[in-house]
Amino acid sequence: MSATDLLNLLIAALLLAGVYAVMSVGMTIIYGVMKIVNLAHAGFLMLGAYFVYELYTHLGIDPLLGVLLSFPVFFLIGMAVHRILVRRIPISDQPSLTSLLLLFGLWLVLQNLGYLVWGNSDRAILTPRTLDVLEIGPIGFPTVRLVVFGVALAALAGLEFVLHKTWFGRAVRALMQNNDAGRIVGVNVDRTARVAFGVGIAFAGVAGGLLAMLYSFSPDFGGPFLLRAFVIIVLGGLESFAGVAIGSLILALVETFGILALPANYQPAIAFSLLVVALVVLPGGVAGLWNRRRRLA
Amino acid sequence: MGNGPKHNLRKWNFPCASPLLLLILTLVLPGCGKGHKAGTNEVAVGVVLPITGREAKPGQFQREGIELAIHEINQNGGIFIRELDKRLPVKEVFYDDGSDQAKSAGLVERAMTSDGVVAVLGGYSTALGEAESVMPDRYETPWITTGAAASTIFSRGYQYIFGTLSPTDLLGYTTAEFLGSLVDHGKLKKGLKLALALENTDHGVDYGKGIDKWIEEHPGYFAVAFNEKFDLGSTDFSGLLQKVKNARADIFLADAHLQDYITMQRQYMQTGMYHQMISYGARGPESDARKALGDATNYIFAGIWWSAKLPYPQVKRFAADYQASVGRPPDSWYPATAYEAMRALATAIEQAGSLNKTAIRDHLREVELRDSLLPGQVLRFGQNGQIHTPFVIVENKPNDQVDIVYPPDAATGEAIAPKPR
Repeated sequence: MSATDLLNLLIAALLLAGVYAVMSVGMTIIYGVMKIVNLAHAGFLMLGAYFVYELYTHLGIDPLLGVLLSFPVFFLIGMAVHRILVRRIPISDQPSLTSLLLLFGLWLVLQNLGYLVWGNSDRAILTPRTLDVLEIGPIGFPTVRLVVFGVALAALAGLEFVLHKTWFGRAVRALMQNNDAGRIVGVNVDRTARVAFGVGIAFAGVAGGLLAMLYSFSPDFGGPFLLRAFVIIVLGGLESFAGVAIGSLILALVETFGILALPANYQPAIAFSLLVVALVVLPGGVAGLWNRRRRLA
Repeated sequence: MGNGPKHNLRKWNFPCASPLLLLILTLVLPGCGKGHKAGTNEVAVGVVLPITGREAKPGQFQREGIELAIHEINQNGGIFIRELDKRLPVKEVFYDDGSDQAKSAGLVERAMTSDGVVAVLGGYSTALGEAESVMPDRYETPWITTGAAASTIFSRGYQYIFGTLSPTDLLGYTTAEFLGSLVDHGKLKKGLKLALALENTDHGVDYGKGIDKWIEEHPGYFAVAFNEKFDLGSTDFSGLLQKVKNARADIFLADAHLQDYITMQRQYMQTGMYHQMISYGARGPESDARKALGDATNYIFAGIWWSAKLPYPQVKRFAADYQASVGRPPDSWYPATAYEAMRALATAIEQAGSLNKTAIRDHLREVELRDSLLPGQVLRFGQNGQIHTPFVIVENKPNDQVDIVYPPDAATGEAIAPKPR
């Protein structure tokens, strides 16, 4: 294989990592603040895909603009879901069976609502840039993947800014580090959790819209991505945004390059072997390793 | 202040009840069928198909085909049952398996044991069909799969299973045969290299076997330069396509479900690869794929079990009736094989003259529809219960045109080969 081929594959892996990161970060926010594993994440990915699709096909709104619009809409949906369902889950510093069941049930409800509203056809968004490739010398950048990567990076940068430069962000980080200490210093846990849940769902909506630009989708869309999101957040450390970025990169690189040495049908096995390895060797994920080294230094 | 669970009764009740309620509603409602115990005033036929979940669309099309056949049978007075000396209408007992294997097998069992059906139709796709196929012999009830073709289903010696799809290895075989005919006509050169990327299912395995068999029987035509399987529902095919590229093959043959076909073909186009011919097995002409891929579907060829363009009068009639029944033309082969399964069953019941399930099974073995919609126009079940009608090869052409290009006696257009760059 030529160096150009390897470089093309590396770019493909990086672009895939961007997609993986944006689809995982919403789960991380929610887990970090509320210790809830959002099993309904895949349902919101699916809704995000249909939201952008509907705006594009019925109102002619560009999918990119649709993705931007999905953020506030899904933020409000997330706040509503929190108010109606999630806030009733007993507060705990460990994921509870109740929360798992509730959100799994919500996922199934969303899926069946999807079937009621959109039927069972496979939909896809086809724009003039869907199949375009930006060629720089011998390297080809699939335009739509590049755009998705750019939006994903911008979304993550925006989140990083909010987390470090705003009161809400500091409150979120405080609760992620130590819930009790956060309360003592005056963080309004209920309000912060509600907004964090809204932001997490908003990221799921954005990710769904971005995925819709790459893949065809139907109401059962999202399952394979949810499983990968688990791998990523376990790899990265359950409560670390930098860890999510690193976890996404590791998974994308291993998946893409792993099948050069192994048959392609081992791709899921590669991903889930990584999950097992992370749970056994790096229970705190990459972020845990990083923190341990910092403490030792 | 602790973070443990708050012992507030009002708050505890809802979280405990709501997930359970949601689960019960979502798990139970889709599976609700119109189950009933049949009397002798009707011929109850079980239909188990996915109309929700991953396989919902083809499942829905198949259901429509069966219901059209039932409607026509009932309009003609039903099925004459000799031993009762009267005509009985056909009553459909439908269950949605939600594209779930375990549920699918359970629902077939339920239809066979609780609903008094004389036979069950269903089993789209291979995975669901395999799950269902263990039930018919256990309950001595005929089962006709309308959408599963893998050899594993029909090679176990079961006595009560039938299928209206030709085997998938014949699809692979016909695909290679079509390419061979292009070599014979001088459109392709001899000795071209093939790259095979096959889904990791029995369907994919059988497809590959069919291609290998033809190549073995016709040495010198083609050589397989790359052969690898991939998992269903993959999120990325970059690595696999890079391997295909490295193989420097002349022809790219994949076997994929619709979602994987769309994802893989998008990435294929983005790599800038070129092959003289491209196929995704039985996928290609679907309207959903055309909407998702646009011109990127042009010149892709597919082997399919049936086409509405087949030049038989009964096919024209069926296409018109189907359009009148559901308000759209048949998009692919799905409704036709299901329609034929119901017609074959009705014929066998009438020939048996009885609602005895073993008698119906015996007559299914002998049934012969000489006005079949399927290629070749004759439907009869082979010794293993599966039909062996030929496949037709269709090729997508610009402006949403799809032509049958093989076999020559059914062709509606000429194959364009090699495909333009």
